Amino acid sequence: MFRRKVHGDDSWNDEELCALTELAEGEKGVIVKAIGGFGLVRRLAEMGLTPGTEVKLVKKGSFGGPVEVEVRGVALALGRGVASKVLVKPVKDETHD
Amino acid sequence: MLNQLKMKPMTRHLRVALAGNANVGKSVIFNQLTGLNQVVGNWPGKTVERAEGTLHFRGYTIRVIDLPGTYSLSAFSIEEIVSREYIAVEKPDVIINVVDASALERNLYLTLQLLELEAPVVMALNQVDFAAKKGIRINVEKLSKMLGIPVVPTVAITGSGINELLMTVVAVANGEIKLNPLKVRFGAEVEEKVQKIQKLVEERIPQMCAVYPARWIAIKILEWDEDIVSKLKNYEDGAKVLAYAKEKASELEKMHGEPSPVILASERYSIASKIAKEVTTLETPPRVGWEQKLDTITTHKILGYPILIGVILAMFSLIFIGGSFLSSFLESLLGNTLSQIEVVLAFLPHEAVKIVADGVFGGIMAGITIALPYIVPFYIILALLEDSGYLPRAAFLMDNLMHRVGLHGKAFIPLVLGYGCSVPACIGCRIMETERERLIATFVVTLVPCAARTVVILGLVGKYVGLHAALALYIFDLALVFILGRIAFKALPGEPVGLIMEMPPYKKPSLKIVLTKTWSRTKDFVYIAFPIIVAGSLAITALDVTGFIGYVTTGAKPLISGWLGLPEAAGVPLIFGVLRKELALILFSELIPLETLSTVQMIVFAIVTMFYIPCVATIAALLRELGWKKTMAITVVDVCVALLVGGMAYRLLSLIMA
Ligand SMILES: Nc1nc2c(ncn2[C@@H]2O[C@H](COP(=O)(O)OP(=O)(O)O)[C@@H](O)[C@H]2O)c(=O)[nH]1
Ligand SMILES: [Mg+2]
Repeated sequence: MFRRKVHGDDSWNDEELCALTELAEGEKGVIVKAIGGFGLVRRLAEMGLTPGTEVKLVKKGSFGGPVEVEVRGVALALGRGVASKVLVKPVKDETHD
Repeated sequence: MLNQLKMKPMTRHLRVALAGNANVGKSVIFNQLTGLNQVVGNWPGKTVERAEGTLHFRGYTIRVIDLPGTYSLSAFSIEEIVSREYIAVEKPDVIINVVDASALERNLYLTLQLLELEAPVVMALNQVDFAAKKGIRINVEKLSKMLGIPVVPTVAITGSGINELLMTVVAVANGEIKLNPLKVRFGAEVEEKVQKIQKLVEERIPQMCAVYPARWIAIKILEWDEDIVSKLKNYEDGAKVLAYAKEKASELEKMHGEPSPVILASERYSIASKIAKEVTTLETPPRVGWEQKLDTITTHKILGYPILIGVILAMFSLIFIGGSFLSSFLESLLGNTLSQIEVVLAFLPHEAVKIVADGVFGGIMAGITIALPYIVPFYIILALLEDSGYLPRAAFLMDNLMHRVGLHGKAFIPLVLGYGCSVPACIGCRIMETERERLIATFVVTLVPCAARTVVILGLVGKYVGLHAALALYIFDLALVFILGRIAFKALPGEPVGLIMEMPPYKKPSLKIVLTKTWSRTKDFVYIAFPIIVAGSLAITALDVTGFIGYVTTGAKPLISGWLGLPEAAGVPLIFGVLRKELALILFSELIPLETLSTVQMIVFAIVTMFYIPCVATIAALLRELGWKKTMAITVVDVCVALLVGGMAYRLLSLIMA
């Protein structure tokens, strides 16, 4: 799979990062950082999307609609714009789903 | 103890507040506690539902408040500010923190913040049945020990555990159970900064520490919480404290590479996660139940949409077929009352009879026969959609489209309702989280042609000009809704919020809860809306009887005939149309044979009726939801749009048709 490499500041630009929206359905990733406005980043953190947390992309809505993710045992819907601001490191999944 | 000395033993009063995330079962617990003994209203000056009730238990009179559902106690949404101000300032005797046992970690995030606020917390560990179904088992004693507060497992829908919960609340309130709440401590770097700021807060702004715990203020300013920061600015030394906190926050941010609120959220979540792991055992891997299957098809990429359309059609038929049936039923039931009243009042002068009968009773009748028959079915369906969990699925499907209007998925529901009746649609806009979103959604909703406006469009343009023209008007309206929505989106201040929404699992709705919700909301609507409907009706009747309406129409002549190119007589029906929009057409036809109007005049009249001023019932709903300033603003904008578009249509169409 091809991913857009995200380049930015220091510590994490050597790792393979992608936007949450770029995960495939059923794929997992670990949140590295959320980019975007102060209010958005804060809201995401409060809903449990903090750096270092594992998320699973459950479903992508059609027509560029929102994505459904599972984080901390809860299902959340994130608008495409919101989700594209969450950068994750994909987890090489060895288990079945 | 002090309580008991001051009051007689049989009338001890307690104030208890329910706090928790959305969809954990707070309302069900609230209903179990208070039964029908409850009042639903709004928080003063806020579009946030406030439910309050009383119960009697072992010699205590307990006042229970159902706080709005929140995930956090930051200043993000109105709900969060309302909740934490109530807890911090009103200081209820006990807070019942209702927690969803099937999502403990996320729920504990709020619990930790309640403990930061140093509130007396009792935890209701709810939905243990649902958690068990998912294979989640929670060690209650261990959780209670780790948090240092009582934890009572409950199943709200069956009422199991509610009695123990009440006993625990009373025991905490009268001091039989001593709380030893967990002291929420962050990692060393954060903790050091919090304590330093706290010390400064205690020294410099002791007045504020009388209301809020000093440590909590320190945490909030370190997180740069807008509400607390602006409160601090009222104090002389506030600026100094803020400058110091800002410095500390940027030190932290340098170290972690994250904004300070994210650092603190991460710290809280790591505590929550540790506690949740410690007390949870996962058993048998969960089977796929009907809930998941339903979720899969209703949010399916393709199938989801026909299902959504089906749900909307069903909702419409129920509200509007049921509503019109109820409406005509009530009309036939009460139809004679008006003439009977006129007979009873015959001893009074004719004008007085007209004002009382048409103004007062006419208004009440309109409320009963026009507003209520549509609102009650709407409330029932709203409660069903809320309780089952379908609402977030519909929002999920429609999010992308709604972004085009500058809103997000949730606004779809009220917008669709607007095609039936603006009143429930405006009330439905409260599902939007922020004031900004609520205002945009409500504004857009008032422009959607409701059933009454459809009567005018079809009865005038559709009948005399042709269906294609009526259809064109509809499409034109839709385009205008999108354009004006976008303008409002650009013009209004504030950060637009994208969709961040929990998708709670599907549940079987409970009839009792749906009916209780419907009953309380209807009661509230009657109290607020009826006086306004009656006052509006009274004012217009008085204008009519006293002959003032003649002056009004003469005054409006330049506008009606000059600007809009309508016959002068169109003024009167437009004024009465404020009472109910289809009335505009009925009156118009009584004054002038409709066939004699030109095509352009018909279209212009329909356009004006479509957009000008919301009807009285809608204005009442707007006042109820937004307060008078925003209601005025929306009304004025609507009138301007109607005049502008009407005038332009008159000129353009005259040119084209000539
Ligand atoms: N299985 C189960 N469902 C519950 C329980 N408590 C509430 N519910 C359901 O959870 C949903 C949300 O409840 P509600 O009281 O409206 O949540 P609120 O948003 O916290 O007020 C409803 O569908 C309830 O019927 C419980 O103890 N067990
Ligand atoms: Mg509720």
